[in-house]
Amino acid sequence: MEVSRRVSARAILLGNEAIARGIVEAGCLVATAYPGTPSSEILPAVAKYADELGLPMSVEWGVNEKVAFEEAAAASFTGARACAVMKQVGLNVAADPFMSIAHYQLKGGLLLVSSDDPGPHSSQTEQDSRYFAMFAKVPCFDPATAEEAREMVFDAFDLSERFGIVTMLRPSVRVDHCRQDVQEKITPLRPGPVKFEKDPSRWVCLPAFVRINHPKLNQKMVDIREAFEKEFAKYNYEVPAKGKATLGIVASGSAFAVVSDILKGAGRDDVSILKIGTPHPLPVKMVNDFIARHDKVLFLEETYPVMEMQLPDRTGIMGRWNGVVPGAGELLPEVIAGVLARVLGDDSLVGGAHPLLKEAIEELKILPRRPMLCPGCPHRASFFSIRQALPNSVNPSDIGCYALGVNQKAVDTVIDMGASITASSGLFLAQKAVGEEKPVVATIGDSTFFHMGLPGLVSAVYNRHAFVLAILDNATTAMTGGQANPAVGTKLRKGDEGKRVDIEGACRGCGVEYVRTVEAYDVAAGKAAVKEAWEHAKSKGEPAVLIFRHPCMLLRPEQPSIPVEVDQDKCIGCKFCINFFNCPGLVFSEEKGKAYIDERFCVSCGVCVSVCPHGAIRATSGEVE
Amino acid sequence: MQYIIVGIGGQGILFAGKVLGAVALEKKQRVTGSEVHGMAQRGGSVISHFKTGDFISPLVRAGEADVLLAFDQNEGIRNLHFLREGGAFVVNVHDRSAFDNLKLKEFLEERRISLFPLEGYSLLKEHMGGNFLFLNVLLMGAMSGAGVGAPSLEDTAAAVKTLSPAKFEDANMKVLKLGYEAVVKK
Ligand SMILES: Cc1ncc(C[n+]2csc(CCOP(=O)(O)OP(=O)(O)O)c2C)c(N)n1
Repeated sequence: MEVSRRVSARAILLGNEAIARGIVEAGCLVATAYPGTPSSEILPAVAKYADELGLPMSVEWGVNEKVAFEEAAAASFTGARACAVMKQVGLNVAADPFMSIAHYQLKGGLLLVSSDDPGPHSSQTEQDSRYFAMFAKVPCFDPATAEEAREMVFDAFDLSERFGIVTMLRPSVRVDHCRQDVQEKITPLRPGPVKFEKDPSRWVCLPAFVRINHPKLNQKMVDIREAFEKEFAKYNYEVPAKGKATLGIVASGSAFAVVSDILKGAGRDDVSILKIGTPHPLPVKMVNDFIARHDKVLFLEETYPVMEMQLPDRTGIMGRWNGVVPGAGELLPEVIAGVLARVLGDDSLVGGAHPLLKEAIEELKILPRRPMLCPGCPHRASFFSIRQALPNSVNPSDIGCYALGVNQKAVDTVIDMGASITASSGLFLAQKAVGEEKPVVATIGDSTFFHMGLPGLVSAVYNRHAFVLAILDNATTAMTGGQANPAVGTKLRKGDEGKRVDIEGACRGCGVEYVRTVEAYDVAAGKAAVKEAWEHAKSKGEPAVLIFRHPCMLLRPEQPSIPVEVDQDKCIGCKFCINFFNCPGLVFSEEKGKAYIDERFCVSCGVCVSVCPHGAIRATSGEVE
Repeated sequence: MQYIIVGIGGQGILFAGKVLGAVALEKKQRVTGSEVHGMAQRGGSVISHFKTGDFISPLVRAGEADVLLAFDQNEGIRNLHFLREGGAFVVNVHDRSAFDNLKLKEFLEERRISLFPLEGYSLLKEHMGGNFLFLNVLLMGAMSGAGVGAPSLEDTAAAVKTLSPAKFEDANMKVLKLGYEAVVKK
């Protein structure tokens, strides 16, 4: 497909917005996603841009990544361009369809955007999606900047159609969440016609067909590798040293951007860089030729040694395999500068904190602030009710803001999305086998419940597992920035109507007999409900569901303002409120040995009034609105 | 120019990067910066990087920032290693005593760092009825007051106007000036 480019003004966009523009401009017809940092802003930006341009695109949140990916894949069966967007761990959930779709001779272009989170900043692993591309035998583009990411979307769709294969764009957090100036607009391509043609040998993955398709997939890898060697000089190129290079660096993605800036800043023009934008399948000839021309070669890539691993012989290079590059963590400028300092024997490259500053920070007792639930967050009240109702309970939890309930000693396990329910079953089963009966109260959010909670709940009903499941319904997917979900019912495109799925109804439909709903802020009601639910679960030998409902503070709900104060005479300094309520607006003065309200953060939700066992926290009289 | 902006999730530090970006775009400068979204936004330490000029990576290297803008003094002090020698530290102060720490004083002196403190919360209590949501605009005003090559008050004002809802325009302009003057007087 010819891309017509009208050069226009520049705009400052978030990397994710630039990717979204690429998706729309490349003529994608169906875009799906499940939110996850650092990818979450892509899909809403696709919808907004499609609205602005008045394009007939379907843009939707899938209920999880497997759903989103399968929807996009099948849409591409009709000849339309389609894409699915997720974070790296989302691809674990979509791994099943991803592995099998890799074998298909696709019709329309199919793009998977899987965003990585080296660090990690907001994830349960630091896994490298490029490894998944390698595992599935799928080509992968690894952008270094926002502008390049947007451009790669076009090429990824073209490559997908040329070889009939799903392609991956793997931005990492520094590309997703960079804010850069990029070309403002590119005239969008028109989506092509939509027609599904029946052809079981193409769309049905029976073993007989797989035996034919797998060798074909292998051949595609050979051909795509050849294409990456010869045709993609805009992504795979050399930045030569001035004169003879003392070091050659092979770098991809964000590591390329960082190392380029460091070398330039330090005036080290004696280092050449081979920039690789297509790390899988690796253009091995190009890389080996570069290696052969340099005495010393260093590999910089995030997060796993994916390019390194594809070398026929990596014993001659420096990288992760021999520990020159750290095996975990983000390749921040300071980390890369440290590696360069060692490799080049140039100590001026290492910074390091000033000893005086380090001492000052220690003396002032300044620590990094850990994430906390927001002031007024309904989850805090729910956790408090649960802990107070059944202090000896075990509390499996899940992925969402409420994982921060760990600060309130109300979260004992977190594995991945949906595992609060299955972990409760596992704990129940172990106890049951030895005749024990300790209460188990799990917590899960509304979005996570629909994402992967339902199968676990059905299993628990079917197998008669006794525990309480508390669904913390804050009417949004908060952790990732506040996306809609089935319990909310709204959709992304203007005028596109959704339908709300009722959580209570869903639980009853799964066979749960005990389903009750409480206002999350009402601690007294919450405590009573938890006790009652556990009594039910225990006596009937089945799961009981309690729904704690109150909107998320990010939605800025209208609610009564109840300013509070801590009576300094009544406060005995026991820190009960700090340990079990843990609100940024309610802090402890080590100097006075008493709690007080930090008005910088307090939002006057009034919940803490019911927290102090000594009645020291009270509503400020006369000021209640 | 290279900027580091730090604070606590929820204080609205992303806005600063947007304003700096809009100003740079107006001046036809290349810009790149990095933001924090997700988990850390929930009340944890947050940091934004912002660079104008010929850079590829959005990340500022320790020891190279020209300006450190801190929405919270503890976060500011903790991130002082980002500032270059002779850089500027614009900081929202809630507890002045920390700046009496001798080691800190010595460090700032040795690195020739210019300090621009302002008591943001008191100012907003006094002039804005305690509406702390204006903290971000207040600090943008302070940064322009500090000079140090940061955008001028006029440029900042123009960017704030385009980036925020019209109904806040008057209040924003008032707060911007408040921040500017709090620092310029010094
Ligand atoms: C497989 C997978 N997909 C996506 C994410 C990103 N993610 C983290 S928390 C979360 C959703 C949280 O929503 P909800 O359960 O409603 O809880 P809330 O944050 O609103 O309290 C998501 C999607 C993830 N960690 N894992």
